[in-house]
Amino acid sequence: MEETPRESYVLLWLTVVVIFAAMAAIFFFVPTEQTEGPVQRIMYFHIPCAWLAFFAFFVVFLSSILFLWKKEREWDIYAHASAEIGVIFCSLVLITGPIWAKPIWGAWWVWDARLTLTLILWLIYVSYLMLRSQTDPGSMRARYAAVLGIVGFLDIPLIHFSVLWWRAFHPQPKVITAQGFGNGLDTSMMGTLLVSLAAFTLLYFLLMGQRVRQEKMRDEIDRLKKEKLYSH
Amino acid sequence: MDNLGFLFAANAFVWAGVIFYLFTLKKRNHSLERDLQLLKEMVDKESKQ
Repeated sequence: MEETPRESYVLLWLTVVVIFAAMAAIFFFVPTEQTEGPVQRIMYFHIPCAWLAFFAFFVVFLSSILFLWKKEREWDIYAHASAEIGVIFCSLVLITGPIWAKPIWGAWWVWDARLTLTLILWLIYVSYLMLRSQTDPGSMRARYAAVLGIVGFLDIPLIHFSVLWWRAFHPQPKVITAQGFGNGLDTSMMGTLLVSLAAFTLLYFLLMGQRVRQEKMRDEIDRLKKEKLYSH
Repeated sequence: MDNLGFLFAANAFVWAGVIFYLFTLKKRNHSLERDLQLLKEMVDKESKQ
């Protein structure tokens, strides 16, 4: 996932262009939803933030399994980098959700299954980052973090199915439904959502490239410090 | 129903969060690059002595 400077430059500009296309579609192209009004457009930020967070936690889950299996530091780096990005975007989900809920439900927060499970997901991965920052570097820290990274991901299928299994305030799925992909949405709304999802996915890879590069620099610093220490 | 303030608040929070994180990454990058450069120079100097 580490890019050359040319690749990161191309990725940066591609991300900026797609973000501007998404903003243009959200504010100028997509029609206003009849019952909720303009506030419904928050969905075009809220769903991509949730997608990015879930995707980031999926990368943590996969990298953690690969780390426990292969014991290669590379996978631990990917898991750590992705967890941080996931927490940032999960925080944005927990902020944009209540901003939409206040005018629609009349309350910032309700203890609905999906909302509560998302808050739990956020707490799990904040604990993951705290575990990493509060314990000494080494294989034990990486192993404990990997176990937490795997267990934490099990919350995501629960979040997805919570609105189907239990009575919920949260709207039913509109993108992935029992009737197929995007069946619950108008074509222009679906198109706008897809552009926004693409923008946030590109943003994930851009951020991930930077975070992985930083972790590798940190490893190199530790290696040089040890080299310098043993040379005395 | 016209709740434009909520729409702009959500938009502002998302982009402020992204820009703040990008700024943090840039600052962290700068500090790591500086430390790495310094250490490389020290190790090089010691290996020449």
